[in-house]
Amino acid sequence: MPTRSPARLVVALAVAGVLAIFLLYTAVAGHSTPTLTPSEIQGKSGKLQVVGTVVGTLHGDSHGASGLQFQLVDPQGHGGKRVDVVYRGSAPPPLFKVGRSVVVSGTYAHGRLQGNDIVTKCPSKYTSAN
Amino acid sequence: MADLGRAALVVTFGLAVYSLVVGGIAARRNERRLAASARNALYCSFASTLVAAAVLATALVRHDFSFRYVAAHTNRHLPTAYALSAFWGGQEGSLLLWLLVLTGYGALAVAINRRLLRDLTAWVVPVIGGIATFFSFVLVAVASPFDTQTAPFDGAGLTPSLQNPYMVAHPPMLYLGYVGLSVPFAFAAGALLSGRTDERWIVATRRWTLAAWTFLGIGQLLGAHWAYVEVGWGGYYAWDPVENAALMPWLAATAFLHSVMVQERKGMLKVWNMVLVALAFELSVFGTFLTRSGVVNSIHSFAKSSIGPWFLAFVVISSVFSLALIMWRLPLLKAKTKLESALSREAAFLYNNLLLVALCLTILWGVLFPIVTQLVKGETRTIGRPYYDFFLRTFGLPLLLLMGIGPLVAWRKSSLRGLTRMLAWPIAAAAVTGIVLVVVGAGSSRPGLIAYTFSAFVLTTIAVELVRGTRATGSLFTLVARNRRRYGGYVVHASVVLLAIGIAGSSAYSSSVERRLALGQSMTVAGYTLTNRGVTVDRKPNVTETRAHLDVTGPWRGSLSSGDNQYVNPPEPSREVGIHTDWLRGEDLYVIVDESHAKTGVVFVQVLVKPLINLIWVAGIVFLFGSMVALWPDAREQRRLVARLAPVVP
Repeated sequence: MPTRSPARLVVALAVAGVLAIFLLYTAVAGHSTPTLTPSEIQGKSGKLQVVGTVVGTLHGDSHGASGLQFQLVDPQGHGGKRVDVVYRGSAPPPLFKVGRSVVVSGTYAHGRLQGNDIVTKCPSKYTSAN
Repeated sequence: MADLGRAALVVTFGLAVYSLVVGGIAARRNERRLAASARNALYCSFASTLVAAAVLATALVRHDFSFRYVAAHTNRHLPTAYALSAFWGGQEGSLLLWLLVLTGYGALAVAINRRLLRDLTAWVVPVIGGIATFFSFVLVAVASPFDTQTAPFDGAGLTPSLQNPYMVAHPPMLYLGYVGLSVPFAFAAGALLSGRTDERWIVATRRWTLAAWTFLGIGQLLGAHWAYVEVGWGGYYAWDPVENAALMPWLAATAFLHSVMVQERKGMLKVWNMVLVALAFELSVFGTFLTRSGVVNSIHSFAKSSIGPWFLAFVVISSVFSLALIMWRLPLLKAKTKLESALSREAAFLYNNLLLVALCLTILWGVLFPIVTQLVKGETRTIGRPYYDFFLRTFGLPLLLLMGIGPLVAWRKSSLRGLTRMLAWPIAAAAVTGIVLVVVGAGSSRPGLIAYTFSAFVLTTIAVELVRGTRATGSLFTLVARNRRRYGGYVVHASVVLLAIGIAGSSAYSSSVERRLALGQSMTVAGYTLTNRGVTVDRKPNVTETRAHLDVTGPWRGSLSSGDNQYVNPPEPSREVGIHTDWLRGEDLYVIVDESHAKTGVVFVQVLVKPLINLIWVAGIVFLFGSMVALWPDAREQRRLVARLAPVVP
């Protein structure tokens, strides 16, 4: 009969080590960002992401001094809490428009999100464009 | 016609349940005639699913908008190829494709192995039947592609950015890969259920695993190339949960493809292989759950559809089933030999497996992190690119190095001195590459420098192996023909090196400048000078094309245009980028015009120079070639297998 293989110990230790590394890394290095909907943003501040649907009218442009201004509501929401966004930077993705679901990253303070990145959800598979 | 499709799916469901229940009873009681009946039911389930698929395909081609599905994903203007691609462009159609591939694969795998592995395939039938039961149930009861309505005049159409040849091929490739992983899973479960836990299930499914893994790899590269040329942000992979959903099972399958060699050769890692094949299968179903449940945020907008909970339940049940089976059969899964040295081929495979699984689990953790933080802290937190990039470097670079060392290490035991002697040329090549890169000023990125030196190391190892083997056999062709699996594997390794060089070059050494340009104004990026020559607007029946035109001087002279298209039906825009590929310099000049004003001629331009990015796409071709070499039928190997397996076949 073969004796107990050290492979198991190697596997167990390596897996445990890896788990420890990435748990520590994610917990300590803090590369995570809060991802909130407009109705969840009350009382928050600092760097975060807001997931919502673009509503209202688009004002300005992203390259101008006043930035591109718009509002977000909860995804699939037709009312409720609105968040004002001022976005500056590269032009938003081509699919960006009123009614589209987007994720805006930036800094939230005094009831306004200063956005620096917009990701427009790709209207690809399994659902309609909006 | 929709009634025919519905009826065909109900028949498939009935046949799948029959293969599950009757197949299970037949295998348990060892009743051959009953087992043959269950097997025939599995064959017929493929035929009935084919009928359902033909009905949907016909409706798509004929623009039959009385089918809700056809109206939701196509319109009258859509060319036939794109209308057909809507088959997998929506939820219900893609599930039907999954079922079609599953029953087709299952029927073929069982038909091929039914004589040589009769005891094992008797259990494979109910396992595949069980998976088919789930998918056919979802299609019959939860998400039918055959719901009808009063036909509208026209359909909603397909998003312009999806009207791209890459998008015709990318999803079915992924499905062929995802679903292909069901076959090794079913044979592994069959081996456990029948108690035949020797290497036969691995040998029987090796090509199935390899084919599924190849499809999954090519599918991901096609998706990456589509993102690069069509989405227009200059990148090709965003670590999005939906992209990760395809990467995770591929990584698990990569680990499995390596570890099975240890079991075949040394009779070790039996439990580990069972765990890996189950992990690959569960991750493929989990990916489907992820993309359809709306449980995580993704750049792909997926509805919170009603099928999410069904998929979650299936993942949980099948995972518990797999784990329970493995635990039950632990006494049969004992290793025949032990790991004798940390410096052996089997140890190298083990390290490779640990790194691949660690990378896979790390990505899984990143995908699940928002759900975990929501459950634990009541706040959704998302992990970004730095997390994934960190772990790609942490696990990916040692993996790259191992690709060079592993093939040269002997089975059982190697001496450090002997190994160093064999690695002399690769080490020298790596050192020279590193020094040259530093001298020419490419040492600014440490991960890039390490990736390039490791790449030189691996490529030299492959070259040394090929030269040594060719000298021994007298011809490269004979060498490869004698062991297609091994040398096909080397070609795949070379493709991974090309991929690594492409990723490192395009990310660590790329240049990007963004500027507002008035008419006639110029900007310079990495030696290229781009001059704004104005904006044109071209109005066509279904699209208005706005283009900014830029003259380019420097290493390449010519002109590039970029802008956007605004479609009438569906009323969607698409970004159109300008790309010039310079194969001699090995770089892409990539122009994105953010905004353009036709009256004033003012444009906002982002210009990227991406060195070596095209090696990523070349890697795809090399990867496919290497996989084909490894997959190619080998009569000599077949004779060996028959001789080896025959004594244990009842």
